[in-house]
Amino acid sequence: MGKSKQTGNHKSDKKKNIAKTWKTKRRTKDLDQIHADMKPEVAAKLLHQEVDYDVTGCAQHYCLHCARYFVDMKSLKEHFKSKVHKKRLKQLREEPYTQAEAERAAGMGSYVPPKIVEVKTQTVEEDMD
Amino acid sequence: MRIEKCYFCSGPVYPGHGVMFVRNDCKAFRFCRSKCHKNFKKKRNPRKTRWTKAFRKASGKELTVDNSLEFEKRRCIPVKYNRNLWDKTVEAMKRVEEIKQKRQARFIMNRLKKGKQLEKEEAINEVKKNIHLIKAPHAGKAKQMEDKMVQMLKEDIEMGDEDN
Repeated sequence: MGKSKQTGNHKSDKKKNIAKTWKTKRRTKDLDQIHADMKPEVAAKLLHQEVDYDVTGCAQHYCLHCARYFVDMKSLKEHFKSKVHKKRLKQLREEPYTQAEAERAAGMGSYVPPKIVEVKTQTVEEDMD
Repeated sequence: MRIEKCYFCSGPVYPGHGVMFVRNDCKAFRFCRSKCHKNFKKKRNPRKTRWTKAFRKASGKELTVDNSLEFEKRRCIPVKYNRNLWDKTVEAMKRVEEIKQKRQARFIMNRLKKGKQLEKEEAINEVKKNIHLIKAPHAGKAKQMEDKMVQMLKEDIEMGDEDN
């Protein structure tokens, strides 16, 4: 199965109550949703959102692949260098799993290997004030 | 009414069993039992979870590409009941299942052959590496030397005889 997925200290704040993170209320985007987001038209819309004061950083600094908002450009760039982000890119490189694949695996049709999708970190426009 | 397939493990979901989760983009996911539902909530990848059908297919543990797998399909066109057709279909299903079972079994037997071969190679390697445990490296060497010396001496004597 490979290496353990655990990264960092298991006593870190975020992982104190794992059952809570699995609640539907706190559900984050699935990989197939992110694949849908990666289509150019949708991606353009997500990367250039209107100012929304309810969202972190007024929805101006969004990481497309991790589906996360950041406070400012600096932290966004810092995030691109992080392990979490790189791991996410690697996960996205494979075509998402679907119900159709589950049915094929159950004997309804032959197996079709998943396609490899090229995924790169979004480009950041440099605006120097 | 139809028997659905579980999103996670590809097992059958009979009416009145399992859970259906509808995501906020209207996509429905069916799970055969809480085990599959929990794993989905943890965002596990069925292709990488060893016990799922998807894993077994993806890593070549089972028969993946075969014509016998092409019969069972989700058909969304209703067919009018016809006794003759029904009988024939049931017969065909039995036959297809029989052929599928046979091919699956053969595939697995062939797959296991590779392991046997590797096992044999490994055993030979191990014996070669640890031969010193069976036979001491210098065992019989003294005797050999002695034999050689005796032979040499004999030859020398013979040579001497010929000279004279």
